[in-house]
Amino acid sequence: MLHTIFSMSEKNRFAYPFYIVAGTLGCLLALSCVQNSFSLKNFTSRQVDLLADLRPKNTPGLLPGEDSAATVAGTTTQPTSPADSTQAVDTTATAAAPRYNFETYTGIQDYGKTSTTPGDISPGMAHFLQALHDLKAGKRRKVRIAYFGDSMIEGDLITEDLRDSLQNFFGGEGVGFVPVTSIVASFRTTITHTFSKDWTDYHYKNLPAGNLPLGISGHTFLPSAGSWVKYSPVHKPHLDKFEEVNLIYGPGDGHSTLTANEHTYPLSGNQTVNSLAIQPDTTGGLLMKFDNAGSQPLYGVSFESPEGVFVDNFSFRGISGIELGRLSRDMLMHLQEERPYDLIVLQYGANILWKPELTDYSWYQRPMTKVLDSLRADFPQTSFLVISTADKSYRKEDKYVTAPGVTALLRVQHTMAEAHEAAFWNLYANMGGNGSMTQWVESEHPLANKDYTHFNRQGAAKVGALLFKALLNKYHEDEKP
Amino acid sequence: MMDVLQQLAYQLTYHREDPILLNSAFFFYYFVVFLFCYLAVSGSKQGRVWVFSLFSLYFFYKACGWYVGLVILSAVVDFILSNRIYREPRLSRKKLLLGISVVANLGMLFFFKYTNFFIGIVNDLHLGHLTPLQIFLPIGISFYTFENLSYTIDVYRGEIAPVKEFMDYVFFLSFFPKLMMGPIVRAADFIPQIAKPYKLTAEDVGKGMYLILTGLFKKMVISDFINQNFVQYIFDDPSKHVGLECLLGVYGYALIIYCDFSGYSDIALGIARWTGFKIPPNFDSPYQSTNITEFWRRWHISLSSWLRDYLYIPLGGNRKGKVRQYINLALTMLIGGFWHGASWNFIFWGGLHGAALALDKLRITFLKKRQYVFKGFSAGFWKVVGILITFHFVCFCWIFFKASTFADAWTLIHQIIYDFQPNVMGTLYEGYKPVFWVMGMAFVLHFLPRSSENWLAKRFEKMPVPASVVVMVVFLWFIIQVKSTQPMMPIYLQF
Repeated sequence: MLHTIFSMSEKNRFAYPFYIVAGTLGCLLALSCVQNSFSLKNFTSRQVDLLADLRPKNTPGLLPGEDSAATVAGTTTQPTSPADSTQAVDTTATAAAPRYNFETYTGIQDYGKTSTTPGDISPGMAHFLQALHDLKAGKRRKVRIAYFGDSMIEGDLITEDLRDSLQNFFGGEGVGFVPVTSIVASFRTTITHTFSKDWTDYHYKNLPAGNLPLGISGHTFLPSAGSWVKYSPVHKPHLDKFEEVNLIYGPGDGHSTLTANEHTYPLSGNQTVNSLAIQPDTTGGLLMKFDNAGSQPLYGVSFESPEGVFVDNFSFRGISGIELGRLSRDMLMHLQEERPYDLIVLQYGANILWKPELTDYSWYQRPMTKVLDSLRADFPQTSFLVISTADKSYRKEDKYVTAPGVTALLRVQHTMAEAHEAAFWNLYANMGGNGSMTQWVESEHPLANKDYTHFNRQGAAKVGALLFKALLNKYHEDEKP
Repeated sequence: MMDVLQQLAYQLTYHREDPILLNSAFFFYYFVVFLFCYLAVSGSKQGRVWVFSLFSLYFFYKACGWYVGLVILSAVVDFILSNRIYREPRLSRKKLLLGISVVANLGMLFFFKYTNFFIGIVNDLHLGHLTPLQIFLPIGISFYTFENLSYTIDVYRGEIAPVKEFMDYVFFLSFFPKLMMGPIVRAADFIPQIAKPYKLTAEDVGKGMYLILTGLFKKMVISDFINQNFVQYIFDDPSKHVGLECLLGVYGYALIIYCDFSGYSDIALGIARWTGFKIPPNFDSPYQSTNITEFWRRWHISLSSWLRDYLYIPLGGNRKGKVRQYINLALTMLIGGFWHGASWNFIFWGGLHGAALALDKLRITFLKKRQYVFKGFSAGFWKVVGILITFHFVCFCWIFFKASTFADAWTLIHQIIYDFQPNVMGTLYEGYKPVFWVMGMAFVLHFLPRSSENWLAKRFEKMPVPASVVVMVVFLWFIIQVKSTQPMMPIYLQF
């Protein structure tokens, strides 16, 4: 055949494509057999390897010496003895719960301690679980949860499912706290929320001047002359009517008023946090107008029923949790008087993992530890639950793999929870551990978005259900003598 | 050694999650072996037909497993029917035979592509409760059923004589370069080329290489890069992005769909050219169009001309009065939209284009009546305005084409209108700098005059083989580098 190729007429170049392609393949194969990666200034070229598909595959994604976390959601590992822990054990207190391997355990690990000093309450789950038991036994009317997070819980994701399950089990109606304006108002499906465009919104990234405090959601709103906000219930269980509606507002001059459903209410409170009960109209909606409110600072509106469990969603896009340090002690303590919280949930991670291969999170640990210290001081009687980062993948070579930063950050978050005697819930292990985000994104019925970071509605519902299950297990565990 | 053999066996068999693509490494090996065998039998027509067909059927198998049987089955059915239609003297019998062909092809297409869509409608309207079928869409079925149809219809119309050799028809239908993403090739254009001797001029070699390299560049450098690093984040969850990001995402998607589709078409055309077949171009710088009618003459030309010849004209075209013409246009585009996929989004997308084409017809008729002719500055001005309006209308329609649900599409539009936030441009630019540069470059390249394309093709034409090899090696090295860059993670802007 070669004879025919070389003896072909000058004009017919029908063999050229073969020469070009075969020559190119030959060169690339030759290149593949040698180390051809090179570095030039900041650029390191990728090894060209045409034989990669034929080489035995290595499991990607893990750093040397790093174990993979649980691979199947829902599996629990045996508790390890306290002596296995590298943490120093406080001799003045006894451990309240068995210890599990936090990297794989899918239940809630409670680091709360039964203190020997009377009146001193540990930030573990004990207070919250007791509150639930009291609620169930009719000894108390309300249990409230403040759920802080970033864009992962925006639009009431995760919290809506958690709230729904909790209210099914423990009772309660209502969506909880809703800020005056919200960038995701139109995508929130648990309340219909519209507002005028003329509100001034101060928040973590646009701090108010002087001594104007930020509200617990991280926002404080000032009305203009024509400002209004409207809330309507939605056709969903627990959310289809407004029962107890309270406007939560800041310190004003005492002369402002608002009109809600044609009734005028004075805003006479002068505390850092004030609460005003408002009557919803017969159609169930609530339209509030602030024509005579000057620059009265407002935080939001809460929707509750006389009894039950309430979950407030405090999402703030793009934050790492450190921003919570901007909430003033004065505001939090007054809020705790008006609407006490029994559990504070902190779910952060996505915005800390902005560099997937970064594994040193001491820069985060230092300021976040301070934030936890001060939150603990501001809520001395409240339970704390730290939720770990979710799995987050990034593309390495041709495949999406778990970012090495995920387990590194998770350990830091766990260390902080343990050091503060708070509870810890490993969201990463609950998702399925290493590589789970890739599965959630690429499954036939996707549970997460293509950014390999955020859950979609289905994924958020699954996380909400897993968290509810973990809480309920803890609740039942607590029932046993 | 066993490992390597196992890996090799894995590579050579079909895997649903890993189908063959013209831009995959596997295809590269496949192509070299194919060219070698093709060259070995190049002197004989029979040899070429058999080698090409067998390689194509294997390619099909690698792309969609044993669904390759559907291609062979439909080749048998249409080969027999076309010959019977041709020999049949009675018109009524001819019609019946054509009807069988139409029903068989459309029935197959409908079963695989649309069954679950209609089951969904039945369930949504509470007319019954049916369980969706576990159907996996056979790759390329939308293309080869349309090729079968145009072939039997052409034979029925007496425009072409049917193919005499069964293998020739298998060859035409399975021709691997166009198998997965078109273009839709007409038998009348293709079959006469089979018998011609395998001859390539310097121009064929240069043009083929030009088409393959630019196709790969469009697909892998422009389209994949913009999509993976920016656009997919936007369409995945528009509510998480401000209006400006959404708008840039739509512009980005306009490039992605064009570069992906036309890039793949170009690779197909280039490979065909190298193997001695000329297939008409499928795209002609469509975003240069000054109106929507022109856009459809330059976008997915093989589909729009197919719809014109086998749907619009049989419906009556412009021969049954103005009103009927508008209805025919709208109907053709609605069905064209549905062809793209079984969802209301595609139907709506087709409907929008149909309505726009009808309106544009009105405009053209109006201008003709008034004998408006623009000259000089105003001609240039209106041309630019026309390009901008057409591009933005097409982009608007892409939102529905791309978004996974109507709700997502409206959310994205909502963000652009009510939450635009132009002040985030600086942050956005910092976060996605390479993406915006690639997008800018792609738009500039798109508006380059044809002469620059010809210039590059001419350079390839004049190159000796070793120089071509060097160009290919450098180019592929570059593609590998781009493909493996660490993706940019999305930035979520609040303010």
